[in-house]
Amino acid sequence: MKVLTLVMLLCYSFAFSSGDTTIHTNNWAVLVCTSRFWFNYRHMANTLSLYRTVKRLGIPDERIILMLADDMACNARNEYPAQVFNNENHKLNLYGDNVEVDYRGYEVTVENFLRVLTGRHENAVPRSKRLLSDEGSHILLYMTGHGGDEFLKFQDAEELQSHDLADAVKQMKEKRRFKELMIMVDTCQAATLFNQLQSPDVLAIGSSLKGENSYSHHLDSDVGVSVVDRFTYYTLAFFERLNIYDNASLNSLFRSYDPKLLMSTAYYRTDLYQPHLAEVPVTNFFGSVMETLHTDSVYKAFSSKTSNNKINSEMPLNQLSEHDELQKANIQNDELKTEKQKCPYTQMRVDLHKKLEKLENVDTVVNLGIAVMLLVVMVSSSLL
Amino acid sequence: MAEEQNKKPCRFWIWASASVVFRLILISFPGNLNLSSRPEVSTPLTSIRRLAEGYWLKQASMSPYAGSMYHGSPLLLSILGPLTVQSIKGQPSHLLCSLVFVIADILSAMLLRGIGQKLQMAYGLNARLLGFLKSSRDKVILPCGDIAALVYLWNPFTIVSCVGLSTSPIENLAVVLALFGAVTRRVPLAAFGFVMATHLSLYPATLAIPIIIILGYGLDAPPIKLFLQTRSVENEKSSTSTVSKQAKSKQTTHLPFLWKTVAHFLFWVLLWSLYVLVLCALSLNKYGGLEEMFKRTYGFILSIEDLSPNIGVFWYFFAEVFDFFRNFFLIVFHVNVLFMLLPLVIRLKHRPCFLAFVYLAISSILKSYPSVGDSALYLSLWALFVNELIDMKFSFFLFCGYLGISLLSPVMHNLWIWRGTGNANFYFGNAIGYACFQIVFVVESVSAMLNHDRALRRSSSNHGEVKS
Repeated sequence: MKVLTLVMLLCYSFAFSSGDTTIHTNNWAVLVCTSRFWFNYRHMANTLSLYRTVKRLGIPDERIILMLADDMACNARNEYPAQVFNNENHKLNLYGDNVEVDYRGYEVTVENFLRVLTGRHENAVPRSKRLLSDEGSHILLYMTGHGGDEFLKFQDAEELQSHDLADAVKQMKEKRRFKELMIMVDTCQAATLFNQLQSPDVLAIGSSLKGENSYSHHLDSDVGVSVVDRFTYYTLAFFERLNIYDNASLNSLFRSYDPKLLMSTAYYRTDLYQPHLAEVPVTNFFGSVMETLHTDSVYKAFSSKTSNNKINSEMPLNQLSEHDELQKANIQNDELKTEKQKCPYTQMRVDLHKKLEKLENVDTVVNLGIAVMLLVVMVSSSLL
Repeated sequence: MAEEQNKKPCRFWIWASASVVFRLILISFPGNLNLSSRPEVSTPLTSIRRLAEGYWLKQASMSPYAGSMYHGSPLLLSILGPLTVQSIKGQPSHLLCSLVFVIADILSAMLLRGIGQKLQMAYGLNARLLGFLKSSRDKVILPCGDIAALVYLWNPFTIVSCVGLSTSPIENLAVVLALFGAVTRRVPLAAFGFVMATHLSLYPATLAIPIIIILGYGLDAPPIKLFLQTRSVENEKSSTSTVSKQAKSKQTTHLPFLWKTVAHFLFWVLLWSLYVLVLCALSLNKYGGLEEMFKRTYGFILSIEDLSPNIGVFWYFFAEVFDFFRNFFLIVFHVNVLFMLLPLVIRLKHRPCFLAFVYLAISSILKSYPSVGDSALYLSLWALFVNELIDMKFSFFLFCGYLGISLLSPVMHNLWIWRGTGNANFYFGNAIGYACFQIVFVVESVSAMLNHDRALRRSSSNHGEVKS
């Protein structure tokens, strides 16, 4: 008997672990810039460019966790105060009036990053700083900065190692915090960072292989530093051609990277990711385009358990109100039948409750009650 | 003598009306002289701002207890709530509320006068029975009723809590009403006052014991042994036959306990409490009902959720106690009030009004959220016993202590909160000093009362010896 129940449980868990029963309901983006200081301008420009792209393609601020050192725009060395550019033509000000940074300055630490991913925060952390994803989420994780063989440097003080990242992703999968995760890393030797990943439904792309450096694209002589990295520059070049309605696939994105132009090999890892890249639109991760199902009937949540549902969902709307009334009448009849079997005391209480609910001027009744009370006091104290 | 006696009531009325005029003048100042923001005057239970907030929430169809602002009775909300909203043009805000509190103060003073007159009559009667006075002119009995009423009206604490718009005058009125009803043997009135006082603030529930004793045994009187001593002495003088001596020596040492009156009182208490609970349930029907009310009023008082500074000693302690021990210390502090009840009853059961005073004094020292309005009540009840407590020690020291504390308290508060040159310890030191003075006051008044009884016993035995 016990063996049978165990086998049943195993079957259930297998059925649910394939991810077939959950559908893709929302998109999240976690964009992390792990560098600070003026000479790492390009990393912040990378992150802000991707932030802008992701917002433009539909992901709202409440589903973006942006972690920046944020010391570029108002830096004393910035010739263009409160402006951050990713191109020397200065056409696009990335630091416009609509940038919401969730973790800024010294809050961008490995600890906070791992807390965001795993969702294990202190009680006082506000909702805007939490990754509130669920089992139907597609998450884009973009990281840029200085990295190396199986590590990523955070703010010149600490490092995130590849097995830390793999552990965090494994925890996320266990806690069902994502349906599919895409990791995009733009650092030197980026591909080594996801060497240790083992969780299913994870797609990862890095800007360079082990032993290769990722280079900046160009130097802006006005600003004085390099303003964008090559990998991100070509990623953005791909996305600038898109709008929210295009269904360019991930495959076309990955094929657009030319090793000669990047001066490194953009390596991606699809062994943990089941769908074919040619069939996955980029907006699955970089934008927020949902599948909509048109239905005329009353909305019900898409869950497999509909045992308590009395209302038939296939009925058209105009017949639905009559059905509701019939249902209510049936319920009331049932209640009355059961009540007749109860004692009259509860019947009285129910009646009283109904009368009280109908009573609107409770205040006047209470005031009257108080006046009567005072009157009775005066009368009784003078008589008795 | 007759002229003097006529003059005395006139003087009383002059002083009483002068205090009312003084209050009205103070009320006419704009902003209530900022007294309603003083933590000594308005506590989370008595603040009029919280009441106005609760009323506004009620009008906005939300529970008046939402947001943990208002923690009082819904009936008070129905009475005072509309008054906080109405404002007459050109007059300071909350004028109508202030007038209600002034009327409450006047009523309390009149009731205190009535209680005092009864006590004075009882005192004179007992003194004559014990043979101290041949007539009422031998010893000057102070008119404790007038004195108590005037102390209540002119006590700076009462004036401040009336002008500062705290609901303490109404709570004090309920307590005084209960005592008045008990003393004048109007059982429904006593029950009503008792139920309202307990409903408004939890602590007057301890008054059940003195009120039952008053209704059962009667008013304050010297211990019964004294009466029996004098009677036995007189009997020895009057009759010489041994048979009559034996018959009279078998008299019981117990006064009859009037069970019927007490049962009547309990019946009325039940009636009034049911009525009040029904009214509260009606007014809170949609907002959680009686459970919500008990949680937010009595639960709030007992669990000391609000730790804003006041003139008591709990806020400082509970700000630093660890959560693990919080419940334990809550129980300790509340039992501190409860365990004093029984020994005091045993010792002072022949003086139930004084017992009521001691209970009120203890509960106003050890309350969760004390304010000066509570002190006002027990100070005026103390004045009811001037005849017995005339030899109280340290009276000048205590008077100076109270004065100093009440002057330093706003200073320390200012130093701590507004100037930042002080810290919480300054204000808390003041609160501790206040608690110490109050405790010394209570202890000294109880010992003065017991000394008075001992002196009576000594002088009555002397009397007996001298006569025989």
